Amino acid sequence: MVGQRAAGIYSIGAVARMLGLSVQTLRAWEDRYGQVVPARSSGGRRLYSRDQVDQLSFVREQIERGLQPSDAHRLLAERTRDVAQPRVSQGPRAGADSEGGRLAVLLAERDPYAAEFADYFLRTEGYAVHIVLSAAEAEQILDAQPPNVAVVDLMISGGAGLDLCRTIRECASIPILAVSAVDSRDAALDAGVDAFLLKPLEPLRLVSTVRDLIGTSAYLRRGAPLS
Amino acid sequence: MSDRLSSGSDRLDEILSGGLPLHGITLIIGRPGAGKTILAQQYLFRNASADRPALFLSTASEPMEKVLRYGQALDYFDASALGTSVIYEDLGQTLNENGLASVLARITELLKQRRPGVMVIDSFKALQVYAPDAAAFRRFLHDLAGRLSATPVTSFWVGEYDGIDTTEAPEFAVADAVVSLSTDRNAERELRVLQVLKLRGSGFLPGKHAYRLSPQGLNVFPRLADPIELDMYDDPHERMSSGVPALDAMLCDGYYRGASTLLAGPSGVGKTLFALHFVFAGARRGETGVIATFQENPVQLERILHGFSWSLHDPGIELMYRSPVDLYLDEWLYDLLDTVRRTGARRVAIDSLGDLRAACADELRFRECVYSLLQRCARANISVIMTQEVPDLFGVTRLSEYGISHLSDNVVLLQFLRGDSEIKRAITVLKTRGSAHQQHLRQYTITPDGVTLGDQFAASQSLL
Repeated sequence: MVGQRAAGIYSIGAVARMLGLSVQTLRAWEDRYGQVVPARSSGGRRLYSRDQVDQLSFVREQIERGLQPSDAHRLLAERTRDVAQPRVSQGPRAGADSEGGRLAVLLAERDPYAAEFADYFLRTEGYAVHIVLSAAEAEQILDAQPPNVAVVDLMISGGAGLDLCRTIRECASIPILAVSAVDSRDAALDAGVDAFLLKPLEPLRLVSTVRDLIGTSAYLRRGAPLS
Repeated sequence: MSDRLSSGSDRLDEILSGGLPLHGITLIIGRPGAGKTILAQQYLFRNASADRPALFLSTASEPMEKVLRYGQALDYFDASALGTSVIYEDLGQTLNENGLASVLARITELLKQRRPGVMVIDSFKALQVYAPDAAAFRRFLHDLAGRLSATPVTSFWVGEYDGIDTTEAPEFAVADAVVSLSTDRNAERELRVLQVLKLRGSGFLPGKHAYRLSPQGLNVFPRLADPIELDMYDDPHERMSSGVPALDAMLCDGYYRGASTLLAGPSGVGKTLFALHFVFAGARRGETGVIATFQENPVQLERILHGFSWSLHDPGIELMYRSPVDLYLDEWLYDLLDTVRRTGARRVAIDSLGDLRAACADELRFRECVYSLLQRCARANISVIMTQEVPDLFGVTRLSEYGISHLSDNVVLLQFLRGDSEIKRAITVLKTRGSAHQQHLRQYTITPDGVTLGDQFAASQSLL
């Protein structure tokens, strides 16, 4: 579907982690060069799209090659002009078999049908999935088998999803993807989540977002953080 | 990102306030032959892509072979998309052998493997009989709706439901939108009508909208019923010639641009001729005019025009001839508006209102239509002249049965008079909105140069 790569998904913290840049650097670039300007949620929080993460990744690559940030942004502007369609970065298939063992997704989902589909698509990509249908179960899993990433339906257990996100944020340093049929990006970002997707979930988008957050995407593999 | 699914037809999308709810369930209902499958397939082909294919699942009514055989006659049917972006599958056998549970299992499998953007189930109503009881069917519906709403798929449930079903069948409660296709009967005439019965999340154009089925699919004509628009628009305050100089004088310098004029009179008095004068006077000044007629076909009209040294070949003239047989009022209105837009016309002649009135069973609806048309034209500064036959040959007692004279800015009456033992033609201006006019009753004759106005009738002359 058109426009999906341009939709705001990732928080500034998540993008900073994905690219190994600091939040301050991202803000400074945005102010100074005005090239990669994320959408804002209704509450004013930055939400980066996949395309923008691509663009920032390009800038970072140029800087790694020795360019100044201003020149890297100029190059980005030229590239954006020249290429109507941004280059699609192909992350390696998840599963991280090379790293041994499968990466685990905690899927806290209220709707059993939605859980069935999300489980199917994540498993197809090689992830291990723990499905829980309540917030209490989710907390148990967090203790017993800490996952690599949590996908939380904000409507779980009668709307306890935000609390669950806060709990996860406090007790674990894993990325959190919040999902909901209601657009509650601001509340989710306030609760410390890294990304937000509106339901019903596009299968490929769910998988690519999880892949980005969990760090198996090309962005994180491309090199060490900037010094 | 839009939360609407487009049909590919601007007019249909307009009725639905932009489209059907994306990722929702739409019920398309109607009798056999109404065009339900055609409409569903229109959405199917329009929204199919290799990434997010469209699925057509036939159940137990029409064999897949037939759906395909008839489907390929449609313009939008793209045989090269079959198997990749558009997938037809027959659930009939599964259904017959293993019942509803197997249908649910197969749909779940397809949702996972094909990740469809659009899914049609045709016929959905046929599934009912495979449930042992009403409770089992409800469970099936709940299970299916749960699966469909968990994935980003827009689905169409197509069925031969009728009026009673709409309140009682549980499908109607589950659906996000219900579109009904039916037929309005008026004596021996039939009119296909589309009606939106339910649309979650937005308003829609209410009422019945005429449609026709064609190789392009379902061609719908949204009921032209413009609300009163209060915002001001540009009024050029410009006068324009009626094409008959002496009549211009009676009108105190012609009609206003953008005004509507009703030419009323009995058969044969010369209404069409006055309308032609108006349109050809525009053409001479470089203003394109549309002649929208039901009365004379192009050959007949050309013969008439020839007698007055006019021609349909005039580059400033666009003829829109439509037969009054099986005429759809709204289709005709859209046709006219399209013709006006395409040609940039500044003057329009409608000959005659009576033919148009005959195409509409409901008088109120007819007035609504004419009102909307005249308003649209007025706002675009397009002048409209309409002819209307009155029933009395002599001594006109009534102008119009359908109140169009109230809607028109100007009313000009043409009549036959018996005076000095011969029939004479006379013209009177009855009404000019926003302007003065002469009150005279003037004689006129029809010559090879067209209408020629004579003197005012003398007070002594006996007139009947």
